[in-house]
Amino acid sequence: MKKQPDKPFAFRGKYLFLVVLILYGVLFFVSSQSAQLAMRKSGGILLKILPVFVVVILFTALLNYFLQPRQIAKHLGRESGCKGWLWALAAGVISHGPMYAWYPLLEDLRKHGMRDGLIVVFFASRTIKIPLLPMMIDYFGLIFTLVLSFYILIGALIQGWVFEVMEQRSR
Amino acid sequence: MKNSAIKKKQHKQSTQRPVFSKVLQKSGLSFWAMAPLLLGVIGLVGLFQVLVTPKMLASLFRGNSLLDTLIGTLIGSIAAGNPIVSYLIGGELLGQGISLYAVSAFILSWVTLGFIQLPAEVEVFGGHFTLYRNILSFIFTMLIAALTTLTLQVLS
Repeated sequence: MKKQPDKPFAFRGKYLFLVVLILYGVLFFVSSQSAQLAMRKSGGILLKILPVFVVVILFTALLNYFLQPRQIAKHLGRESGCKGWLWALAAGVISHGPMYAWYPLLEDLRKHGMRDGLIVVFFASRTIKIPLLPMMIDYFGLIFTLVLSFYILIGALIQGWVFEVMEQRSR
Repeated sequence: MKNSAIKKKQHKQSTQRPVFSKVLQKSGLSFWAMAPLLLGVIGLVGLFQVLVTPKMLASLFRGNSLLDTLIGTLIGSIAAGNPIVSYLIGGELLGQGISLYAVSAFILSWVTLGFIQLPAEVEVFGGHFTLYRNILSFIFTMLIAALTTLTLQVLS
């Protein structure tokens, strides 16, 4: 496999960040209390998901260290078969934190050959949150939780498959 | 002779593992490049949590199962925050007599769909991927909500 040249460093999402800053600025003029509260909430979220970011950076580094791109492609690429689908499903269920925290890792895996259908499965199966299952059972009951989890898993696999069919047809 | 030695050296270099610290640095740097994107999304979530209260969200439901399922999916996809909050609101909604179809759709779309993170998703995965994934997720959220409720009705 030909090695791709490293891209020059560039920040991404600068415009989104700028728009958000402007929104905060506007809110500060309208209601400085609300703006401060929103900033405190955002700070709290950032602190909460910092450990997830550390895990994502470490995990990306470990994957790149131990696995060659062709090995990643073998496990998560076109030739991965059933194993690939199950890996994506399990990873989605286990993954913690908000969806966007996992974007950098998934982007890296995608560059190394991970198929898009598996990314769809990963995102779809994230609805099952293992640490929150006791709370869901408490609020909605055991049977509801079991039935919902079952349909989420089946639905995630179907979504991944349909996505790939749609992708092939649009080519 | 000299050529084969160079070739051997090149082969050895290509199969050798890179130094871990270098790989870690590269991984950290690519994450750092995404910092404005992630901070932008986090900033939006904070804004949303202050400007849109759970009470405002609950007041949008109408009492019609089919319409409420659609509303639940839409509200869940606009809302942002910890999934625990969706359980709390969902529990309250059930108590207020909102159908299980709508509440299931609401707690499902809270995690899988996100209007707030759409700009980041487009930037990272591209518009085509984001559009297809979100349409599929929207349809499947309503399907799973309906199937779950129907199954529970059959089981009970």
